Amino acid sequence: MALTTKSKFADAYVDPVGKSVPRLEGRGVVTGQLKYAFDLSFPGMLVGRMLRSPHAHAKIISINTTRAESLPGVKAIVTAKDTYKIKFGSNEYFFPHTVDQMALESDKVRYIGDEVAAVAAVDEETAQAALKLIDVQYEVLPGVYEIEEAIKPGAPQIHESLNNIAVILPVNFGNPERVMKEADYVREDKFWCPVAHPSPMEPHVCIGQWETFTNKITLWSSSQAPFKVREAMAKTLKMDLNDIRVIKMPTGGGFGGKLEMLPMDFAACVLSKKAGGLPVKIVLTREEEFTTTRRKHGMIYRVKTGVKKDGTILAMTGEVLADGGAYCSYGPTVLAAAMMRIFMVYKLQHFRMTGYRVYTNNPISGAMRGFGGVQSGFAIESHMDMIAEALGMDPVDFRLKNITHPNMTTINKMHLTTNGLKECIEKACVAAGWNEKRGKQKHLKRGIGIGIAADVMGSKMYKSHESAGAIVKVEEDGSVYLFTGAADTGQGSNTALSQIAAHELGVSFSRIKCKAGDTEITPFDTGSFASRVTFISGNAALLAGRDAKTQILEIVAKDRGLRIEDLDIKTEQVIVKLDGRKIMTFDKALELCYSFNYGKQIIGRGSYNPKTSPIDFRTGEGNVSGSYGFEAQIAEVEVDTDTGEVKLLELWDAHDIGKAINPQSVEAQIEGSLAMGIGYTFYEDLRFKNGRVLNPNFAGYRVPRSIGIPKMNSILIETNDPEGPFGAKGMGEASLLPTSAAIANAVWDAIGVRIWDLPITPEKIIKGLRDKEMK
Amino acid sequence: MNITLHINGKDCPLELEGNETLLEVLRDSLNLTGTKTACQESECGTCTCIIDGNAMLSCITLASTLEGKSITTIEGLAHGDQLTPIQQAFIDHGSSQCGFCIPGMIMSSAALLNKNPEPTQEEIEYALDGNICRCAGYPKIFEAVKDAGKKMAGK
Repeated sequence: MALTTKSKFADAYVDPVGKSVPRLEGRGVVTGQLKYAFDLSFPGMLVGRMLRSPHAHAKIISINTTRAESLPGVKAIVTAKDTYKIKFGSNEYFFPHTVDQMALESDKVRYIGDEVAAVAAVDEETAQAALKLIDVQYEVLPGVYEIEEAIKPGAPQIHESLNNIAVILPVNFGNPERVMKEADYVREDKFWCPVAHPSPMEPHVCIGQWETFTNKITLWSSSQAPFKVREAMAKTLKMDLNDIRVIKMPTGGGFGGKLEMLPMDFAACVLSKKAGGLPVKIVLTREEEFTTTRRKHGMIYRVKTGVKKDGTILAMTGEVLADGGAYCSYGPTVLAAAMMRIFMVYKLQHFRMTGYRVYTNNPISGAMRGFGGVQSGFAIESHMDMIAEALGMDPVDFRLKNITHPNMTTINKMHLTTNGLKECIEKACVAAGWNEKRGKQKHLKRGIGIGIAADVMGSKMYKSHESAGAIVKVEEDGSVYLFTGAADTGQGSNTALSQIAAHELGVSFSRIKCKAGDTEITPFDTGSFASRVTFISGNAALLAGRDAKTQILEIVAKDRGLRIEDLDIKTEQVIVKLDGRKIMTFDKALELCYSFNYGKQIIGRGSYNPKTSPIDFRTGEGNVSGSYGFEAQIAEVEVDTDTGEVKLLELWDAHDIGKAINPQSVEAQIEGSLAMGIGYTFYEDLRFKNGRVLNPNFAGYRVPRSIGIPKMNSILIETNDPEGPFGAKGMGEASLLPTSAAIANAVWDAIGVRIWDLPITPEKIIKGLRDKEMK
Repeated sequence: MNITLHINGKDCPLELEGNETLLEVLRDSLNLTGTKTACQESECGTCTCIIDGNAMLSCITLASTLEGKSITTIEGLAHGDQLTPIQQAFIDHGSSQCGFCIPGMIMSSAALLNKNPEPTQEEIEYALDGNICRCAGYPKIFEAVKDAGKKMAGK
């Protein structure tokens, strides 16, 4: 009767949660066998390329594709006339008027790179040649490229909105103007936060296939959010969701840049249809990646704060102007996050800030790791240090006086439950030797600085729900499959979610395999953003594991005449909860389930929707996240006052992550965030002139490389969140938020030079030193 | 032109126009897609292969110049099922996140360790400075290289 006898899993039990198990993809990665969308090819596959506007702002007078069509090897050409001209965007739910981009523009182009047509041909050379043969007649319009120029009356109008302002977002609480008058000290600062670019190593890649007879679309994609891509595809193509299957391949990084459908995804599928159903692959060049995907918003950040002599913050006001570029993308919610993240960090009662998301004829701003928090982190945390300095307070003491604490509701109705911010600050200070170093190394031109931050794990800013689903299927040979809609883009979610499911099921990690991010096979998931996956998708994986376990225990209980509520599965054994007595092994239990008598398939399901409320953008109120993560960071620098070079010596990062499901992955996410923060602080700066990107390559746009990476110290603070799976919170973005300010504050401590506009360059340091001498 | 390249211990006869890069030949003609590229213009290191013991960028190396040379790609590193110490170390230290840069990173590391199994931190940083990793922030990569070097040196 036995279907299986010997287990291939049980001898190597690894308790899955809290262990640094190796990535599921590990062997595939190090042998080159893991296939990304970049590596896929299919019989008959065509090469697709996008035709892009050479003008920053122009009317499209005509598009003539006749000559291109007659080029041998060209299989399909599409323009706006082949589409329904339906606009797409990413803030549809809260800001429907910001849905403003078309897959292929028909009347007007708004930045250099705007898509006007697409070609599919038998090879790259033919596709490139065909692009040159498409004749587009433009009437060039005056463009506008600077935020403060774009909002002036009479500036060239990019969309229909007044003064190029796509969204005005006021955030008002209390009466800051009145309370500010009672302040002992008021300080105002203006910061410039430059434009960074996600630049994942794998560029945007898609392969679209439109089976013309069945009218079904399959899109293989390098994506952070396959279900959101499917939704935008269905909308713009007027198809049902289930007509479109998006398969997220192992994805070579995203960092916010791969959250949306891009015109290339749409074009690949429409080209495929026109080419009779042949698959069409589009791979962006690195230059296209830098110029036509999504970038971080450049922001002018003004902030004014009134405090009492003892350091208590009374009121804060401010204004944020964000360079949105040609279309809105996630811009309005990025802007909101840039203003409202502060409520998670500091106790505030009186607050007024207004954000303006401004259209320019620059490339499109959207989501990028940090989601507004990198900009506000630099501005707010630099500002706080300057206030502490003016009050003669230690910056750490000043922060400790004003930070949020556990079990409190913020002014905008966020419910902070577990909150390890104080512990983060204290532990980081001890590890870095704050008291021994702060202000005491000036003779060495060395300094130390701090920045703090908090982050959501998921955010109800996108749709009416943001649930995640999971399925745990246990096969008769004892192997376990986790099906999750979550999109692993390198952060390790496949592994972490598998650890959660295996742990809850009570089995070794070695049993589990993970299938993720296929809209036709895996349950729905909104995607990898807002540090939400461990928390939200993790809870779904946990519930699916629990459901599968219950199904197994039902059979055991029935067979042995026991009560199911007395049983559990732990470390590969079915046990009696009360005394831990072993009833049978997991393999024996499965043998029973799949026996002649029972024939019970084990398919567990989990669905989790965090207990949150969406932000009401009229009031700014809303408990956007099921829990909140916290973070303190300290940087130590040494400045060469002859050359202006700032050497970053060491970073300490204390992070309230609830519970580390996989400590190694958590550390890796922190280290990656710190590296990106270092890049933003010192050199990541996408520059434009008249709408043209001046540095669209890795030679011109420097990203962190192995030389110049300081020692990084990760300190994991486990606050065991009651709502998180095994206490875990989301993480992955918070460590990037305070890095620039921590470094800038360390520079101040070292040499007394303050930086208001990033990046910190030797020229700015030398200028700062000269200005100081002049005073 | 007809040419035979020696790749991963095998002779690969090829018919080339002459202007193909090694990267194109590997990926398009030989289906060796383990070698990636993120820029195609020698700025990212993702396409690194080992040619006669040296880490080389396959995106700017013409295949037609490589006759008689020994070419190793990421697919040719392991001995059967047995991973090399540097591959195993990248798994053990969690050095890979999205993994897209890792084949190139491993090839640069392997070329370094084959010449110098116990490199200093500075030597590692110098050897890997041409390889961009956007995910991981490098410390876990440094750890893996040091660990693999020790194993290769028999320590």
